[in-house]
Amino acid sequence: MAQFLSGYAMYTFSSIVVFVALATLLHLQFGLTGIVNFGVVGFFGLGMYSFGVFLIQYNIPYLVAMLLATVLTGVVALGLGKLILDLDSQSILVATLAIATVVEDLVITEKWLTKGVIGLGTVPFPFDLGPFSQAGYFLLALVLTVLLILYAYKLESSPYGRLLLSMQDNEPLARSLGKSTSRQKLIFFSITSGLMGLFGTLHASNIHFMVPRMLGPGVTFTVWIALILGGRKRILGGLVGTLATIGLFDFVIETFVPIPAAQSQLLPVIKLWIYGLGLMLILMYRPSGILGEKKLTNR
Amino acid sequence: MPEKKLHIKNIAKSFGGRTVVDIADLTLGTHGIEGLIGPNGAGKTTLMNLITHKLKMDHGQVVYYPNGEEMDISNRSMDEIARFGIVKTNLIIQDFESLSIRDSLLLSLSTRKYEKFYRIFSEGALLKETKAEIEEYLEYFHFENPDGHALSAGEKKLLDIIRCLVLKPKFLLMDEPTAGLPEDQTIKVMDLMKKKTKEEDMSILIVEHDLDLIWNVSEIVYFMAEGEILLKGTPEEIRKDRTVAVKYMGVSHV
Amino acid sequence: MSFFTDSLILGIIEAAPLVLATVGFTLIFYLSGFINVAYAETITLGAYFAIVFNSMLGLNFYLAIIPSALLSGVISVGTYLVVFRPAFKRGVGSTEMIILSVGLSFFIRYSLRLIFGSHLYALDIVSPTSFRIFGIGITNIQLTALILVAVITAGLYLFIYRTNYGEMMRGLANNEDLAMVSGINPVRVSVLIWFIAGVAGGLAGLFYGVFSFVNTLLGWRLILIIIMITIVGGIGNVRGALIASIGAGIITAAVTLITKPLYGEVILLLSFIGILRLKKVRR
Repeated sequence: MAQFLSGYAMYTFSSIVVFVALATLLHLQFGLTGIVNFGVVGFFGLGMYSFGVFLIQYNIPYLVAMLLATVLTGVVALGLGKLILDLDSQSILVATLAIATVVEDLVITEKWLTKGVIGLGTVPFPFDLGPFSQAGYFLLALVLTVLLILYAYKLESSPYGRLLLSMQDNEPLARSLGKSTSRQKLIFFSITSGLMGLFGTLHASNIHFMVPRMLGPGVTFTVWIALILGGRKRILGGLVGTLATIGLFDFVIETFVPIPAAQSQLLPVIKLWIYGLGLMLILMYRPSGILGEKKLTNR
Repeated sequence: MPEKKLHIKNIAKSFGGRTVVDIADLTLGTHGIEGLIGPNGAGKTTLMNLITHKLKMDHGQVVYYPNGEEMDISNRSMDEIARFGIVKTNLIIQDFESLSIRDSLLLSLSTRKYEKFYRIFSEGALLKETKAEIEEYLEYFHFENPDGHALSAGEKKLLDIIRCLVLKPKFLLMDEPTAGLPEDQTIKVMDLMKKKTKEEDMSILIVEHDLDLIWNVSEIVYFMAEGEILLKGTPEEIRKDRTVAVKYMGVSHV
Repeated sequence: MSFFTDSLILGIIEAAPLVLATVGFTLIFYLSGFINVAYAETITLGAYFAIVFNSMLGLNFYLAIIPSALLSGVISVGTYLVVFRPAFKRGVGSTEMIILSVGLSFFIRYSLRLIFGSHLYALDIVSPTSFRIFGIGITNIQLTALILVAVITAGLYLFIYRTNYGEMMRGLANNEDLAMVSGINPVRVSVLIWFIAGVAGGLAGLFYGVFSFVNTLLGWRLILIIIMITIVGGIGNVRGALIASIGAGIITAAVTLITKPLYGEVILLLSFIGILRLKKVRR
């Protein structure tokens, strides 16, 4: 039992939970508010790396470092948001992709801060429970993710959620009713992106050691396909999609499907190949994802 | 008689070299209901969009007088102006795809205090606060399925109007509000408008092509053509005017 | 003084493939109205086709250019006919189209990975002859690239503004229904444009493959800069694409001369965000 709790399975579950959180945050940004954020890994990675830098390079206490990293990510999102959020969707997509690339580049160039391609470590678990630390971490990540999902639920049946939805449907109409849409979009984007940074800090404490390569577009792409597959407009879309992609590949197939050693290098390649194909097929034939459209709720 | 609400000075708007609106001086809101008529392309909708700042004026000044204060709103944003109490209904039907009729009204009625990202438990309070008012409107206009979408074009138009009304505007701009509405609903809308302008501190500027309606409800009528306000007068005066007859109605009046 | 001329000349030389890629990209963007991220793979494919014809089949490099370019054009048309056109018809919105193209990009890129693996390939070129222009070494291949770029860019410019097909493309881009009513066959014109863009992209990839190594990330690394240059230069604007590409090339060259090359990308991308804001692109 102890072996299971500290082994690969638990580690993978922990990663999956973090990705569920990311996909849910993306749902809030894209599915609810209509912001096409292609820079997910930028905010995630900024949180992750700044946490590592604060903790390891500057010896800032653990929780303070986590908080600072989250706030820093939120502030960067705020700055970016001010520049781009009232542009059209294509521009927002490209600009967020650009900022994520900038983050990756700077992590590589600023070796004095991030140790560059050599990698930065070691970030310990938030608490030391001996052999049960991994399991403890998993519970922590799980609790936070569940809280996030609960927040999303309550949000979407609250006046604020209705406002965000209306902004996505018809922003000029919402403005003509006196809603300060620019401001609200900015605030919400900053907070959800900051939370992506928070989950980045959490992830850092799971993987313990980080390299710039983790900040490549693969993460953003995986989160997107997970959300689109699961159902972008549904709160549980992120959960369903993540389980069906990462859960399927990184856990089920890895653990239960016997693959000869020669082929095992191919698995990540095939996985992303399938993701690409899957994304195309879903967008063409079932754009609302597995969970489909939301029905109008009655009050 | 309410005091003036809006003073528009030297306002102009051109699109691609063509002047669509060019008005030197216009004071609105001195009467309960004011009518604005004119041929297509006269610039009526554009003028309204300039006031609400949906469109940016090339030059000019719009001064607003809520409760006797003076406020230059020429450079304020669209949503600010709506919050100040100047609201416009839509000529082309606009709606929120994801919201039911009731939701639409709840959206309109929800105020800033409810709309914070951390206020996720406030739906109950909002429902309680707005229940009576929403029910009143729903009953008055009789929507087929208030918990669903607005079904016909007429229902959508009505919903658009009610969304604006629940904001309790001081100055309401209505852009052909009865186009697409059945006769009985038109009467209901106009009765409600008359009632509101008498009981509340609201002025209405109504653009319409249905001239009988204009003569019926307006206390003052403006005639606009080619971007300018050419005439101002009582319905009787405007009705009989030769310029109106020629520029708008062709040869003889309907 | 030397720094500026160095940057200028190096920039222009390095920008040559970029110009080709951007010109092709801007045409598709203009015609179809969305950002085709999978265009990156058209570029990568050009390089891989060259590898197949040149390194594997032993064809002389200059001869290999022709089938590589043509095949890239064909694949480009293929993506239009098999993926994008059906997607349009199913009513996929322009934001979803971009996401779709990202999916296609990953699909093609990882197909290439499965076929060719992840290691670097090199083109088999006879020792290049070098010339010296203004003190900077330039090989005959780079010269070929520059000449091709000049010819193609001029040709495309004339094509768009002086020929019937060009006019049809512009009509189609502005209003498809109206264009159809005027007798323009949208599929035929689109196929032609996608082919031309594919050829341009394939050639760009080919030349990039000469200047460095060939791997599956070749096009993907460039696509963000290409998008940026397209928007800065004006969507559908061939001359703008030319100028902006050269500008980007010069900036990159200048930065590389002074400091770390990645800073060049950072500067370009950050200024891109600034330019987006200033332009307030609406499409």
